[in-house]
Amino acid sequence: MDRRTLLKSALALGLLGPTRLLAGDAATGDAATARSVEELPALQGKLTVYLGRGEGGLYDTLVTAIRKRNPKLDLQVRRGPSASLANTLVAEHQAGVQRADLFWSIDSSSLGLVADQGMTHPLPETIRARIRDPFQYRHWAAVSGRIRSVPYNPRRVSADQLPDDIMAFADSDLKIGWAPAYGAFQSFVTAMRLLEGEQRTRQWLLGVKPHATSYAGEFGVVMAVERGEVDVGFANHYYTLRLKQGMPDASVQLAFTDDDAGCLVNASGVALLSDNPAAVGFVRYLLTREVQEYLATQAFELPMVRGVAMPAGLPPMNRIDPPEVELTRLADLRPTLALMRETGVL
Amino acid sequence: MIFRRISWWLSGLIAAVVLSPIAVLCALGLGADLDFGGSLPRILGNTLALAALTMVGAVLLGVPLALVTRYASLPGQRFWVALLCAPLAVPSYLGAFAFFAAFGPGGEMTALTGIATPSVQGLAGATLVMTLYTFPFVLLSTRAALAGLDASVVDAARTLGMSLPMALLRVVLPRARNGIAAGALLVALYTLSDFGTPAIMRLDTFTRVIYVEYNAFGLGQAALLSLQLLGLVALVLLLEARTRTPRERPGRPLSLHLSPAVKVLSLLAAVAIGLAALALPVAVFTLWLLRDGFTGFDPSYLLNSVYASLLAAAGTVLLALPVALAASAGRSGRLFERIAYLGFGLPGIVLGTALVYIGLQLEFLYQTLALLVIAYMIRFLPLAVGAVRAPLARNGRDLSGAARSLGASPLEAFRRVSLPLSLPGIVAGAALVFLEAMRELPATLLLRPTGFETVGTYLWRVYDAGYFGRGAVPGLLLMLVSGLAVMLMIAGEERLAHRSTR
Repeated sequence: MDRRTLLKSALALGLLGPTRLLAGDAATGDAATARSVEELPALQGKLTVYLGRGEGGLYDTLVTAIRKRNPKLDLQVRRGPSASLANTLVAEHQAGVQRADLFWSIDSSSLGLVADQGMTHPLPETIRARIRDPFQYRHWAAVSGRIRSVPYNPRRVSADQLPDDIMAFADSDLKIGWAPAYGAFQSFVTAMRLLEGEQRTRQWLLGVKPHATSYAGEFGVVMAVERGEVDVGFANHYYTLRLKQGMPDASVQLAFTDDDAGCLVNASGVALLSDNPAAVGFVRYLLTREVQEYLATQAFELPMVRGVAMPAGLPPMNRIDPPEVELTRLADLRPTLALMRETGVL
Repeated sequence: MIFRRISWWLSGLIAAVVLSPIAVLCALGLGADLDFGGSLPRILGNTLALAALTMVGAVLLGVPLALVTRYASLPGQRFWVALLCAPLAVPSYLGAFAFFAAFGPGGEMTALTGIATPSVQGLAGATLVMTLYTFPFVLLSTRAALAGLDASVVDAARTLGMSLPMALLRVVLPRARNGIAAGALLVALYTLSDFGTPAIMRLDTFTRVIYVEYNAFGLGQAALLSLQLLGLVALVLLLEARTRTPRERPGRPLSLHLSPAVKVLSLLAAVAIGLAALALPVAVFTLWLLRDGFTGFDPSYLLNSVYASLLAAAGTVLLALPVALAASAGRSGRLFERIAYLGFGLPGIVLGTALVYIGLQLEFLYQTLALLVIAYMIRFLPLAVGAVRAPLARNGRDLSGAARSLGASPLEAFRRVSLPLSLPGIVAGAALVFLEAMRELPATLLLRPTGFETVGTYLWRVYDAGYFGRGAVPGLLLMLVSGLAVMLMIAGEERLAHRSTR
């Protein structure tokens, strides 16, 4: 019996509280929930952060706020695509050059690459204890999360017409929108490859392709669903919530598959690269209640610290059942790309 | 003679610097497996098809327009030339992005007018965009070649009973053939190394796949693919080396009397190009500007861009002089020049990565503005060499020889003859490098000092996050500043043409 089945049966027997992935708040005391910014000491000294993908103004607002609160902190931010910063960090490590104190990345596979090189310093236990189970990694702290979701247009299909198995979409006659060139989609296919194997993933890609329309990004997918160009799409959950924020009557709803790559939870995070005390302090800031609430309410991302409420518009988290995939294994992207090229999807 | 010798040494040194990133690529690519699931032929096919179709498109647009703007007297001649060169001021990725956003289901065009338009993407879309934004190279090179032709030859053909179109086809164009070829090959080089357009149009060319591999942590594969792309570039350079504008004795300038219908047709074509290449992106960005306002853009980004690009322009022209001088002197100089041209075929992300490795060995350079400027210089040196060489090749050597025989010292001959002669070329070359450095993105992201934001890096940031509206201000600014540089370039071209027809 694997852990998942064990947990499920324990849950059924009423032995455990709500143990689903993102709901694990109840068991822990105050000590391990979010702290307020007010409780943190001011940061000082020089701190260099490599920030992989900025999510536009949102992370910039955080950086500006942290700068403002810590006038003695000389904060240098280097922005770039996550993978290229990860490649740069590896090159720096090989040459014995140390420039960055922190690597803050939207992409867990980039963090995995850096961690694999043995460049990271382990996080203090007090930080790890604040983070939701099962995202308590040794080498990086999860900051925010996103779920793979199936946005659908309720005027074209009803929720009960949607399969709850991602693999079943290949055999459906639904018109599907997807964004194969998009990083989040490729991570999702990687997860499918790890969970279902190469052969089934190939069949799935070939099965969906004839009734799929490609878009450049996943916000585009969600907009196409809303306009009714397609019935359903595959996208990160927050694009739908962001669209609905600007357009409350938008004709798009969120559905989730059950315990498969279709509802993978991926995380952004931060890794310590030096023993600069300001670096640990910076991580603590990212995990404060204020920052986590900001990410949840403004960016509709999943807060990763216990005790912070999930963004509005999502079903209760104990109804979502993501698969278990070690996120850093998603760095194994090349076989996925080969598969997508071979099937003519990319 | 001392100048030639110094130039030769400098030129060799520059060639070595250009070769160093290629050496890094070889080291990175060593041992990487090149398993692309059999898609390598497809990638090669796409790359070649895009380059070939864009060349054809650019020649079809550029040559007739060059003939008309050079030989026929049009009302507002200068305006039309400027309008036709203006697409150079629009980075092709901005153009591609505007086309992508404007057309297709859910595009701005449909949103505004309700008319359904087909989406612009794939090979056709990429060819359309690349043609629109690169044909001015053919236009300029053809105009330059046409400027040197003697009208008497055409008159002779006409008196012998040849019709005007036949005379153009059989007498004029063959003489401009090399100029046309040079422009078309420049277009091919541009297309081979352009990353943004194939990425936005979703066409798997070498540059796009290199980028995808790089982001999938396949550094070795990206390096191997880059080396293959370099092979293609080297091939184009070999072809380009064979096309040299033959020098003709300047004669009476030719002027054609075109029927009003042909004139109107040409002007309509120019207007259509202006609408597609300029008005469309400006309209899309203005629309977004009105929708999202001026949020988030810091003027210091523009200052940073201009500063780095000015340094790059000045530095590149300084390097281009010895390379151009050496190239007009002898075989090994010509070889160095060809090597210097290779930099143009290195996609920015590859050059950037290679320079990260080199920078890490010379740590005082790593993440400094100097290394960024060096990257720009390596990448855009060919543009400056090309521009500087044209006037030197035309008349530099004979005249400076004459000056020497009249007793001028080498320094004096250089200062009083060679330098003034090449000045228009220097200005045009500097403007071109400035233009390209302003819009360069992938190498800038990798090499800039930490915290150094440019217009380009800001554009990337907002595009990446899906805040397209915030791209409006930097997008428009980039076009505006580039427009100024293009005006400088055209001024240089006109002075040059003027001198050679005099």
